[in-house]
Amino acid sequence: MPLIEQAVETAARRPVLSVQNLKTHFLTDAGVIKAVNGVSLSVGEGETLAVVGESGSGKSVTGLTVMRLLGRTTARVVGGSIEFIDRDGKAIDLLNLSDMGMEKVRGHDIAMIFQDPMSSLNPVFTIGNQIAEPIRIHQGYGKKEARAKALDLLRQVGISDPESRIDSYPHQLSGGMRQRVMIAIALACDPRLLIADEPTTALDVTIQAQIMALLKQLQAERNMAMIFVTHDLKLVDEIADRVAVMYASQVVEEGPVDQVLGHPRHPYTKALLECIPSRRDAQGERRQLHPIPGTLPNPLSPPSGCRFHPRCAFAADICIASDPELEAVARDHVTRCLRWQEVAL
Amino acid sequence: MSEQADIERSAAEIRVQPLLSARGITRHFGNDGGMFSKASAPIRAVEGVDLDIASGEVLGVVGESGSGKSTLGRLVLRLIEPTSGTVSFDGKDLCSLQTGEMRRFRRHMQMIFQDPFSSLNARMTIGDALVEPIALHLGLRGQAARDAAVGVLERVGLHADHMKRYPRMFSGGQRQRIAIARALASSPRFIVADEPVSALDVSVQAEVINLLQQLQKELGLTLMFISHDLSVVEVITDRVMVLYLGRVMELAPTESLYGNPAHPYTAALLQAAPGMTSVKKHILKGEIPSPANPPSGCVFRTRCPFAIDACAHTVPTLRPVGPDHLKACIRDDIEL
Repeated sequence: MPLIEQAVETAARRPVLSVQNLKTHFLTDAGVIKAVNGVSLSVGEGETLAVVGESGSGKSVTGLTVMRLLGRTTARVVGGSIEFIDRDGKAIDLLNLSDMGMEKVRGHDIAMIFQDPMSSLNPVFTIGNQIAEPIRIHQGYGKKEARAKALDLLRQVGISDPESRIDSYPHQLSGGMRQRVMIAIALACDPRLLIADEPTTALDVTIQAQIMALLKQLQAERNMAMIFVTHDLKLVDEIADRVAVMYASQVVEEGPVDQVLGHPRHPYTKALLECIPSRRDAQGERRQLHPIPGTLPNPLSPPSGCRFHPRCAFAADICIASDPELEAVARDHVTRCLRWQEVAL
Repeated sequence: MSEQADIERSAAEIRVQPLLSARGITRHFGNDGGMFSKASAPIRAVEGVDLDIASGEVLGVVGESGSGKSTLGRLVLRLIEPTSGTVSFDGKDLCSLQTGEMRRFRRHMQMIFQDPFSSLNARMTIGDALVEPIALHLGLRGQAARDAAVGVLERVGLHADHMKRYPRMFSGGQRQRIAIARALASSPRFIVADEPVSALDVSVQAEVINLLQQLQKELGLTLMFISHDLSVVEVITDRVMVLYLGRVMELAPTESLYGNPAHPYTAALLQAAPGMTSVKKHILKGEIPSPANPPSGCVFRTRCPFAIDACAHTVPTLRPVGPDHLKACIRDDIEL
């Protein structure tokens, strides 16, 4: 066991967030949906951890649980811990923090950006107002100083002529510009951790490339930790240091990006990679795509044993009978597969 | 050498008898001023596009949002009327057809949409949804129509048991299969697929792409495949048209376009797409301008890293740069 913990926690960087065995359940009329079921993640200063998975894998819910943005009536955190290490090196237990305490952390120490900037911006306030708000609340700046800082932030996120834009309303901006404004709001208080949930999914490829470059640059300048939630493995390769692959509410593989994508040790990761259309090979031949057979499991009644066994090409009797744990396959690289030593991926 | 000959032969076939052909097709949207409103500058969605698709060919149409690719797809099906220009299908001028004639003609040309959650009627069983076009276009009734429906359902990998179910009982991938089955129900020759896999997860996306490819081969379908995802387009198409602000920037066989893009916009798109190239020489600055007020000369010049003064004055024409490879750029002295 200690080997695994050693593998999961990269000691090299000063840790910022450590999630252990997190369990978030939704109570619905049809039953309990275990949306996050025993997820452990950690991210350090200046590091980007990508959380990748298909819809319903629990990647977004993990991010929302860290931010404590889930409604209390339906969502319950039933187990695990979320520890955030603040600027002074003090560990804060986010799950047991009071609502007031959490409000001080949210937007200040940890910020989040979402997929759709139109619905996450307030349509009735100018963007200047919305950027200045966290600065005034968390850092106690006056109106004028906050506006000056907002102007500076707009410049930093690459909005040209910020003086003429600061009094615009969200509907007056394009999708790419709105996402830049969201990033400006998120970065207003110099957070130690940024959670980006599919921030470029709604954007054109050219704008996506701009936003990716911007996020990378701002992160490097600020030595910020980032959790990048996405469904797109190709983006993972571009932005992240480490990647956690989620399937059916669990992390099934985690490790350095080049290792996980280059030499996957979980059949699901391998299968996902084979679904991606890639360039033709040297002979100009089209590569056949290999879809994953079957469908995502019903979250109300996930399969027994390994969640992936009904769709896995390597499934054996043992995969149906026993629950796999994360096992270290190399330094910093873990997989949740009982047969990783036997199967050739 | 034989490859070269192949390309020339296929080019010749297209010139001989394209299945679908559009000339100078243009569509402007906007009000021309009513009793109480002033005329506003029209949105120039599609501007003078010439297009030939050979029988059995898969043509990709790519571009950013606002480039006019969906409008073009609807124009070639005459789901919307062109402002000017002509579309002909199998030698017949579509725009000259009367409503009734056009309706009968529709069995030959169908469409698949992006979102299988909104393109299927939630209150109709899959069986009813399939029997409707079969009855309408093929004139089959009763058991014959149901048998035909089961036939197309099986073609897309579903089976007879699914006939009595409602769309909500299916996953996204299965719904897209049903939407494809519905498009196939009237045995069309030409299908416009508008972002058919964009709303799907990657594992399901691969499944639907493989299905479309297989159906296209088996049935000899002619396909116009509209997508913003360059890697999907590379897998499925024979030729690709790159649109920007409603104008064709480049048109070339897929391998040639991806291997040697000739237009700065195509090169920029390929570099921006994640995982397409390792070199990111030019991240395109700015955003697509308003189609109500497109730049003079070459519409791409405001974002083009190679723009010179002449680009503002000359509207570039599509001209050949290789076998079947056309570009609309006046510069030949640039290294992309």
